[in-house]
Amino acid sequence: MSVAEILLQQVVNGLALGMMYALLALGFTMVYGIIELINFAHFSVFMTGTFFGLTVLHLMGFTGSSASLTGLPLVGMLLLVFPVTMALTGGLGVLIERVCLRPVRGVSGTAPMITTIGVAFILINIVLMIWGPQSKPFPKIIPDRRWAIGQAEISLAQIFLAVAGISLMLVLNFLVKRTALGKAMRATAQDMDAAKMMGVDIDRVILLTFFLGSALAGAGSLFFGFYYGFTAFYIGYQTGLRAFTSAVLGGIGNIPGAVAGAVIIGLIQALGGQLLGVKWTDVIIFSILITVMVFRPAGLFGTQTPQKA
Amino acid sequence: MTRRSLIGTLAVLLAVGLLMVLPGGGSAQQKVAKIGMSFPLTGADADSADSIVKGAQLAIDEINQKGGVAGYKLEAVVFDSATPAAGQYDPAQAATNVRKFVSDSQVVALIGPQMSGEGKAISPILSEADMATITPSSTNPDITDPKFQSQYRPKGKAVYFRTVTTDAFQGPNMANHAFHNLKVKKVYILDDGGAFGVGIADSFERRAKELKIEVVGRDRLDPKEADYKTILTKIKGLNPDGLYYGGVQQAAVKLARQLHEVLPKIHKLGSDGIYDLAFPEQSSKEAAEGWWASNASPDVLSDKKAAEWINTYKSKFKREPINYSITAYNGVKVIADAIERTVKANKPVTRSNVRDAIQSANLKNTLQGNIAFDANGDILSKVVSLYQVDKDGKFVYKGVAPEK
Repeated sequence: MSVAEILLQQVVNGLALGMMYALLALGFTMVYGIIELINFAHFSVFMTGTFFGLTVLHLMGFTGSSASLTGLPLVGMLLLVFPVTMALTGGLGVLIERVCLRPVRGVSGTAPMITTIGVAFILINIVLMIWGPQSKPFPKIIPDRRWAIGQAEISLAQIFLAVAGISLMLVLNFLVKRTALGKAMRATAQDMDAAKMMGVDIDRVILLTFFLGSALAGAGSLFFGFYYGFTAFYIGYQTGLRAFTSAVLGGIGNIPGAVAGAVIIGLIQALGGQLLGVKWTDVIIFSILITVMVFRPAGLFGTQTPQKA
Repeated sequence: MTRRSLIGTLAVLLAVGLLMVLPGGGSAQQKVAKIGMSFPLTGADADSADSIVKGAQLAIDEINQKGGVAGYKLEAVVFDSATPAAGQYDPAQAATNVRKFVSDSQVVALIGPQMSGEGKAISPILSEADMATITPSSTNPDITDPKFQSQYRPKGKAVYFRTVTTDAFQGPNMANHAFHNLKVKKVYILDDGGAFGVGIADSFERRAKELKIEVVGRDRLDPKEADYKTILTKIKGLNPDGLYYGGVQQAAVKLARQLHEVLPKIHKLGSDGIYDLAFPEQSSKEAAEGWWASNASPDVLSDKKAAEWINTYKSKFKREPINYSITAYNGVKVIADAIERTVKANKPVTRSNVRDAIQSANLKNTLQGNIAFDANGDILSKVVSLYQVDKDGKFVYKGVAPEK
């Protein structure tokens, strides 16, 4: 492989990673945009989502050693497993908001954030109790098909990740920019009290924000499972932390910023690993984050105006 | 305290005392010697830990069925050394467990640990307590090396005995195998950042360089990272014909899976860290096929004289043993022998005396051959055996690794 081909391959790898981080980063950024809360439970919602997806696939008869699908059965399968898993993680997000976060909403200080950390640990331990500590193989229903670009190659799973990821983000963008719900969300983000006075049902808006963010994390969970072929209880922290970093890098509260931040982090991870070594991955990512924070405290695409969503 | 409550308290104490004496009946004279075991029974290495602990349990049960050893009934005390936060063995938890063993005066010796990362944490504690452990699988040479005596056995006497040899042989002999048998010319080396993984990868690297195998690079996998495609793409660009991985299961299953996608044809070399019957299942059979694993003990599993032992093990525990089930089994035999000799020499069965007896152990014709230790606790036999995963996901014995 020539140097250019290796770099091209790493860019492909990095974009795939970035796409996965983006789906998670959106959940962080939306919740922050609305209620200015950093929701650490999101890490664990993502992780639990992989186990929801695994269970849905098992119920449909797919195990770790099942053969991959092609054509219509594959499309049908994906159209079934994605909505179900996303609905389940969305439901989990709603449950967390309703049971754990609404009672502490408006409490000043760090109480709500600490609550989310607590919820994250509770979820990890529930998963440990039900599914155990070993990593579980994920059914590979997406066939291992690859196309060569010189010596570099791009796989079907990567293309699927990119296409489906971008579609979901466009849907989200449409929801936020063009619908009444989106208008209510943006109003709540700008000024919660004023929105309430104008008749916006704040509780409902916040609940729906959690639902959307968690559902996107659920889609991310399935991408993770299909792409890496395994899941385990510990995967939430590392992926979640990088996604959170993406949201901060892009300017937390800013939806396009989160996506851009995620793609940048993905590329840094792949190219940094290539040029310096993977043991330095976190050092590289966080050095860049700190540098950006020093010169642009609001993030690359963030603004200091109250316009957040 | 009033008189009435004083009498009440005395009555309760008396009753408790009676209860403690009564149920023993005829066997009340039989004393108990406890053997502590701290193993990562949950987490990524749970399967191999389970098969090892059961090997030790088999020996304890057999000895107790024959009436114990020199008037002592053996009793296993088993703790988990893995934590949810680590997802695998946790050296801090191992140290906590061993401190609990030390505080229980009936514990005379330990079996374990499984991992050298745990070994480095517990060896100094054992040295202070003058209590021996016999490890059936921990192979990092530093722990018993006199060079690091002040670190791992500050009191001087050997406390870390092994029924397996060390990575001073395991890593280099795998390099010999790669060079002489597989004709590897260029190799890339990865480790998992653990005490065992880094140590064995270092010893492999040194030997590979002596043999003039070109080492095209060295990097470290984060066991909690999901994505190894970055590093594998980098390795692909360097075009080696061999990859060595020093480390245990958590990173191994992901590495095997993604390596199968990126570089399916490369020679895949591992250590006893991947010799775990769950490895082919968790990484998928296709991905595990072709992986080489070493074992720091002679091959006993495919030896005819072990057939009966294996049958007993399987029917008792309903699972397959690994070689380190047998080294653990023999570890218990060494402790039992030491207790017996201590009693015969009319010495009290204390940790310190049992340690001294273990030091002078000389067991002939065990399933793995003769067992005796040098002054540092290392076994005298230095055999390293080789295994390769076949297409059905089974580890197949492929002979003894070349020593030169």
